[in-house]
Amino acid sequence: MRFSGTIDYSTVVKPVMSTTMPEAKRRVMSLYKAWFRAIPTIMDKFDISVSEKDCRVKIREKFEMNRNVSDIRTIDLLVMKGQMELVETLRLFKTKSHVMAFFRDSVPEKPKDFLSKFLDGQ
Amino acid sequence: MIIDKVHKTLRVIQENGGWLNSLLKLYRYDTLKSGRLVGTDDYGNRYYENKEYFMGRDRWVEYADKVRLDYDGSQIPAEWYGWMHHKTDIPPTLRPPPKYKWLAQHTENMTGTSRQYVPYDTVPPKIQPWIPGKK
Amino acid sequence: MLRRGVSSSLRNALQVQKRSAASAPEKIEVFIDDQSVMVEPGTTVLQAAAMVGIEIPRFCYHERLSVAGNCRMCLVEVEKSPKPVAACAMPVMKGWRIKTNSPLTKKAREGVMEFLLTNHPLDCPICDQGGECDLQDQSMAFGSDRSRFTDVNYTGKRAVEDKDLGPLVKTVMTRCIQCTRCVRFASEIAGIPTLGSTGRGQEMQIGTYVEKMFLSELSGNVIDLCPVGALTSKPYTFTARPWETRKTESIDVLDAVGSNIVVSTRAGDVMRVIPKNNDDVNEEWISDKARFSYDGLKRQRLTTPMVRKNGELEACDWQEALMVVANKIATTPGDRMAALVGGLSDAETLTALKDLMNHLECETLCTEEKFPMDGAGTDLRSNYLLNSRLTGVEEADLVLIIGCNPRFESPVFNARIRKSWIANELDVAVIGPKVDLTYTYDHLGDSPKTIADLASGNHEFSQRLKTAKRPMIIVGSEALQREDGGAIYSAAHKLALSLQNTTEDWKVFNVLHRVAGQVAALDLGYRAGADEIAANKPALLYMLGADEAAVDRKDLQNCFIVYQGHHGDRGAEQADVILPGCAYTEKQATYVNTEGRTQQTFPAVTPPGLAREDWKIIRALSEFAGVGLPYDNIEELRGRMSEIAPNLVKYSVVEEANYFAQAGPLFGKLASALRSDEKLDTKLKGLEDFFMTDSISRASATMAKCVQAAMNEKKNRH
Repeated sequence: MRFSGTIDYSTVVKPVMSTTMPEAKRRVMSLYKAWFRAIPTIMDKFDISVSEKDCRVKIREKFEMNRNVSDIRTIDLLVMKGQMELVETLRLFKTKSHVMAFFRDSVPEKPKDFLSKFLDGQ
Repeated sequence: MIIDKVHKTLRVIQENGGWLNSLLKLYRYDTLKSGRLVGTDDYGNRYYENKEYFMGRDRWVEYADKVRLDYDGSQIPAEWYGWMHHKTDIPPTLRPPPKYKWLAQHTENMTGTSRQYVPYDTVPPKIQPWIPGKK
Repeated sequence: MLRRGVSSSLRNALQVQKRSAASAPEKIEVFIDDQSVMVEPGTTVLQAAAMVGIEIPRFCYHERLSVAGNCRMCLVEVEKSPKPVAACAMPVMKGWRIKTNSPLTKKAREGVMEFLLTNHPLDCPICDQGGECDLQDQSMAFGSDRSRFTDVNYTGKRAVEDKDLGPLVKTVMTRCIQCTRCVRFASEIAGIPTLGSTGRGQEMQIGTYVEKMFLSELSGNVIDLCPVGALTSKPYTFTARPWETRKTESIDVLDAVGSNIVVSTRAGDVMRVIPKNNDDVNEEWISDKARFSYDGLKRQRLTTPMVRKNGELEACDWQEALMVVANKIATTPGDRMAALVGGLSDAETLTALKDLMNHLECETLCTEEKFPMDGAGTDLRSNYLLNSRLTGVEEADLVLIIGCNPRFESPVFNARIRKSWIANELDVAVIGPKVDLTYTYDHLGDSPKTIADLASGNHEFSQRLKTAKRPMIIVGSEALQREDGGAIYSAAHKLALSLQNTTEDWKVFNVLHRVAGQVAALDLGYRAGADEIAANKPALLYMLGADEAAVDRKDLQNCFIVYQGHHGDRGAEQADVILPGCAYTEKQATYVNTEGRTQQTFPAVTPPGLAREDWKIIRALSEFAGVGLPYDNIEELRGRMSEIAPNLVKYSVVEEANYFAQAGPLFGKLASALRSDEKLDTKLKGLEDFFMTDSISRASATMAKCVQAAMNEKKNRH
């Protein structure tokens, strides 16, 4: 496929919510703040054994993970997903283990080669 | 009014055996009451009653001194249990319970100690492993 | 050559066709529920109905037993017949119109059912047959919907005293409906006329006449035959219900027949073993050892790897155990290593072990069970198979058994010989000890010299052999364990070759093995017999389920012994490292039976503790030893297996083997001459020897009870 000239994607692709980058940024910031405000409630409702500071660090880390995303539509999508997570958390659709899953860095990988599978009990 | 209260407090302290004893009781039970000593059981627990207090607070026990702070409701033997819980108004000092030789001594709840009850598995293992050297 | 072969076989085919055309009688037409069916004369009503897919209820009728016709459950209406007719016993006549669903038939069934139930206790909730009871099922399907039974005089139902039939069969004789299936089984199949009936009418009882146990190597089959809960399994009593168990179809490995079985499990526990129908192998019988030794799978198990430290075996983890073995392998040259495999080893493990050892430049791979390596030895497959097949005995007219006791070495096969002895007037002759085989036979003495005499024609029996159309010579594997096994083998082979009819596709020479893993091991190229190991005195011996004490630790100086297997038996006791493997109910594994039929077991339960599938242990060890066998799953391993021996992956098929003529001349030089002074003998003579022959049945408490009962029964004067 060949394109003649440059295409302004902002006119071709319909925006999800935000039309400009500052608007998208504003949405991200408001979600970030909403999460921060929810920290005491989450800690109270789920009775999790992490400090408030840990929560703040973790939320920041989750947002930082998508720092390099520059597409407005992707940002909007991520904001929506983050919003959904927040609602699910605050309305107790989640249980304690779901919340603690945010803090789990990695799942131990299942053994793949024969010998480690054998020693693992398969 | 205030004088009344001070007067009452002083009387309670006096009945509990002076300032030092009162402080000790406060330390042990977080409360200081005055009442009639109804009786003492075999384990050294003292049972009091004072009808001036509200129902539910009118009968109480001061646990044996040797248990110090390590007291627990299960240390009240069965014969006093009924009186303590207002199942009866006649304390076992007035009507002692029948004594049988098969009746076991009262024991407190041993949960959390080395003498606690631990249920054991009654199902035999499905596989009996071979033990070297044994036929 | 080829052309002649083709034309002769064509001629045979034509002859057969002609014969059948001449002798086949005309078929007759009968109508079952107005459906026309053409049947041979002599077909019973019940069989004719089965041809059009109509099943007539029955209790006493059983396909593999004679017809008794005493339960009357199969009554059907026949047009123009004044009374209903017992379908199991009545041969059809031309033009009969049989009604299996008419009001008269229904009424007859209901009446029979009602009479049976008036004398049957209402104890289904505590009856072990509940859920698989013919009476239960048929009273639902064909019985009346209400009871007319009222015990107005409160006399109670009929009650019968229970009989003591031994440690395997539990009796509740009040439940008996006198179908006499057990009686017929005992006298026809098992060949011990212990059971019988006394009294008549309401007083009729099944029993043993005198106080005697029903001890047979096939006694467990009456449990399956009994349509009600009168005969049930003693070890299985009150343990499980049929609807709560999972069934896994598998193979029995406790003898070389490879009987098909169903393993019932519940919550990871083997509850019982029952036979699976396979007309080519075990029909629907299995031996008591196959059926009842499952409790041995739960005792004396190796559940964790062990390493000998300071003279004591201590439990450890897999990494440590495999490391110890691998270190030993690394410091031992290949020619100082050896492997010895036992009778319960499966083909997958044997393949993996052989690959591993050959990679390590070790060629000493032996089986515990001996087999003569003289002449062609095990190079030709027809040399070590039961070539005329298990079913072949039904076509044979003379069987010569040399040095074995098929009754206890392979009870199901013996039942087939007996079946043929009854139905086809099969003649049997035996060279070996005089034992009870449940049928009569000509005893030709127990000297191995008799075989040579028969071949040279110096024996009075050789004329009979020569005139036999389809003779079968069965050489017991045990006779070949002797020092002069090679000589016995070659003599028997020579005799068979002299009887071999080249025009007919009939194989005379047969070997009956005792253990399930032997044929697969020989197919894969293992050497038979542990003599080589005893002579070589290896520094490292890998024992794979070798529990028959073929090699003793004392004979091998300073030998490091690795034992891989599932039971703590003779092998594990002398090991330095123990690697726990799986029993046959816990793995998917290939076994080849004595006729060369490849079959596989399927896992019914998980292996206990840290035990692993056997081939995986060897595969893991190979990685520790720096070899790394090139298969990671069973499909790849079977691919490798098919490269070595393609027949090992053709399941439930018997691969043809036919090189008798070529094998004959190869017996040039024999290792030892025939020793006529030493009598041919078998280890398994009486029933008490039968029950405990391998590491699984030796661990079984039920089998120990059976041995005890058999010993006590010998003292019984009846």
